[in-house]
Amino acid sequence: MLGMSRAGLAERWTLFVGALLSVTLGVALVQSSLLLLITAATLDPPAGLSAAARLQFADGTSAAVAMLGVVLGGAVFLAGFIISSTFAFTVDQRRRDLALLRLVGGSRGQVRRLLLGEALLLGLAGAGLGVPAGLGVMAVQAWLMRRFEFVPEGFAGQWRMWILGVSVGTGVVLAVAGVLVAARRAARVRPLEALRESGPAARVMTAGRWIAGLLFFGGALALVIVAPHGGPAGGQAMAMNVAMPAAVAVVAFAPLLVPLLARLMPFGGGVPSSLARASLRDARRRSASVAAPLIVLVALVVGNTGAGASFTASGIDELARSTHADLVIEATGPVGPAIAKVPGVARASTELSLPAELTTGSGDERETETVTALVIDPTAYAAVHGTAVSLQGRAVAAGPGGEVPKRGEVRVRLPESDLGSLPVVASVPETMTGGASLLLPPGLVPAGQLDDAAARSFVSLAPGADPAAVRDGLSRIGKVSSLDEWLRADAADRSSTNDRIMLIVLGLGGLYALLGVVNAVVIGAATRRREFAEARVTGLTRGQVVRAALLEAYAVTGAALLLGGLAAAAAFIAVLSTTSAVTGAATLDLPWPLIGAVAAVGLTVTGLTSLITSWSATRRPPVTLLAVRE
Amino acid sequence: MTTTMTRAAAAVTLHGVSRVFGRGPAAVRAVDDVTLEFPRGGWTAVMGPSGSGKSTLLHCAAGLERVDTGRVMLGDTDLTGAGDADLTALRRTRIGFVFQSFNLIGALTAEQNVALPLRLAGSRPSRSIVRSTLDAVGLADRARHKPRELSGGQQQRVAIARAMVTRPEVLFADEPTGALDSTAARTVLGLMRAMADAGQSIVMVTHDPGAAAHADAVVFLRDGRVVDRLAGAGAREVADRLAAWER
Repeated sequence: MLGMSRAGLAERWTLFVGALLSVTLGVALVQSSLLLLITAATLDPPAGLSAAARLQFADGTSAAVAMLGVVLGGAVFLAGFIISSTFAFTVDQRRRDLALLRLVGGSRGQVRRLLLGEALLLGLAGAGLGVPAGLGVMAVQAWLMRRFEFVPEGFAGQWRMWILGVSVGTGVVLAVAGVLVAARRAARVRPLEALRESGPAARVMTAGRWIAGLLFFGGALALVIVAPHGGPAGGQAMAMNVAMPAAVAVVAFAPLLVPLLARLMPFGGGVPSSLARASLRDARRRSASVAAPLIVLVALVVGNTGAGASFTASGIDELARSTHADLVIEATGPVGPAIAKVPGVARASTELSLPAELTTGSGDERETETVTALVIDPTAYAAVHGTAVSLQGRAVAAGPGGEVPKRGEVRVRLPESDLGSLPVVASVPETMTGGASLLLPPGLVPAGQLDDAAARSFVSLAPGADPAAVRDGLSRIGKVSSLDEWLRADAADRSSTNDRIMLIVLGLGGLYALLGVVNAVVIGAATRRREFAEARVTGLTRGQVVRAALLEAYAVTGAALLLGGLAAAAAFIAVLSTTSAVTGAATLDLPWPLIGAVAAVGLTVTGLTSLITSWSATRRPPVTLLAVRE
Repeated sequence: MTTTMTRAAAAVTLHGVSRVFGRGPAAVRAVDDVTLEFPRGGWTAVMGPSGSGKSTLLHCAAGLERVDTGRVMLGDTDLTGAGDADLTALRRTRIGFVFQSFNLIGALTAEQNVALPLRLAGSRPSRSIVRSTLDAVGLADRARHKPRELSGGQQQRVAIARAMVTRPEVLFADEPTGALDSTAARTVLGLMRAMADAGQSIVMVTHDPGAAAHADAVVFLRDGRVVDRLAGAGAREVADRLAAWER
């Protein structure tokens, strides 16, 4: 059977190039993300750092590890999805060949083994190409992370010998798993189908599609329902994960939905448009297969950037509403007393930030993480942030950043001192923007250890005070800005961070999904030479045939964009309910320029690909195609 | 699947076979209560106007199409209730197919195509068996060619070699000369005649009276029913009879 697999691959190479490319880049993406994750997780702070800098380094590293975890998860999902949909499509396009094999005595098991053999070969070849390609991808990803300052200068992914095994395993497992369902389906092909001229009237919706569709729909629905109850961090994480299962559910129902929506697209008149319309009605599975990667691309990019931008906007809005001050001073060290002495200052909340190692739980449930602790003046803090917090002695409070239990004991170690076990006696509401996890009362931290701490002071002016004079007085202490200026700068900073995260998480994955889109269009056209030739001998010109193919691609793309938008909309429902639950104001801030760009890229890529493939498929005179038969 | 030791007289027997496509008012009785024997060691042609159900009859007789009522026997084996594995085994060992559109696998050479049924059956075919089978159809020198490098007639002869390499009890042929020019058609029919003379059972569907005249007997079908038979007739006689039934 392996020999036949080899012969099949050699013959139908155009059909398999796309499949091979999908495995290669899938392996490359997974390998790169995994190596970077391992590198970041085992990163040691450079020698000579102060204790505080070391803790900050650890905090930054764990953020990078978390981000790379998301990147790896996305890479595995995309690789699995793109590879399996590409493989299933190539199998679908070869039903007649497989029926022929059955006709001359091939058993169902042999058909299955043939396809699994092909997948094995493609998986191995894809891994062979994917390992070196992964090094290139890793260089790009590491460069992006350095450039956006998520990792220190000089960070570069490190090669691990065992990754060879992982990458070959990834290629083979994804390829074989991807073809498993399609092979089972193909093995049930009836020998008689080999004798039919046109493809069989295959069932459009299989039981597997119904089950997968309903399962993933249920998953997406569950996330949408639970997200508003998950608090800011949990809610955001859940909302950001809605688009993926929602997209898979939509893809499962695509053979029903894509032709339905595609036919609603405005076509114009003429023979090519009626031919395109007829093709859409006829080849529903092909339309669905072509649309699938685009649906996932749109859902992930639009859904996640939309959700990210909305949460950022919601946080910015919440911060503006909940901060009551006139001026903000950024300085270093315990500047509170100095600020209070400046004439015209009515009240100031000076918040000193320190990295802290926090240990919660005991025994098996013991967890240690690096968080930010804020040394505050409880009364002033309450006045500025509008949330009462009373702290005395060694008592601490859970901050707006979460991660600390609202009651109980925590062990806290600061860079230069171990504060030991401290009771958590109060908590402030968690916010969308996060922030410090731990609020410490003044006096708990030895004074000398705060000298280098970053200090942010929120200052309210006394009635009748001259703002310019106060500003002038404060500028000797630190960098002064009005609350509006500070909020604007903070918002810009948050948005830019969000954009960078989205670029790292979705950038390469999006390109990979785009390759899946090209693949699907090419595979969809690969087996249509005969159909095009038939249209031409019927009297259509080459231009009309190409136009019909282009119209069809445009309608399928339009449907895919709408369906991807539908899956993204599921994420937006979760965003609205979560922001409403956390901040009291439902917020949705959609990145319209990006959405427009995604639609434009989708239409351009499918349009160009289908133009090129249908043009080359009609290059030979139709008669030669119709005369030569296998 | 039951096999008895005694050899039945007929190669294939149909008992009251019907096959209906579609449901309700749109239902078409493609094969309508047909009882028919295809003799062992003989060549029977099935003729009829288009839509008379001759291809469906062939598919039913070969176990490719399930029947709605009646029974189909291949020798002593009842195909009616046979499962997929049994039918697959039959296709490997006891039945050969030749079709109008050749249906060779484009990726494989002529000799690989011929060897395929044996390889699917799990044996490692010797080169000599494959070569002698190709030689029997006059294509020993084309063994390494792929289907697209062969003419239509040559492709059909490779298809016949592929069908014959397992030494099947019955060769089913559906319009084997339908896509060939008259010279190539004559070669293929001559080949089949020689096979029949050597004792091969052949069931062939055709619309060409000239092709049917090469067979030992001709069965005429109309609206899914057997309406006439002829034995040892010439092309003219077959054509006249067909024309009469087409009126």
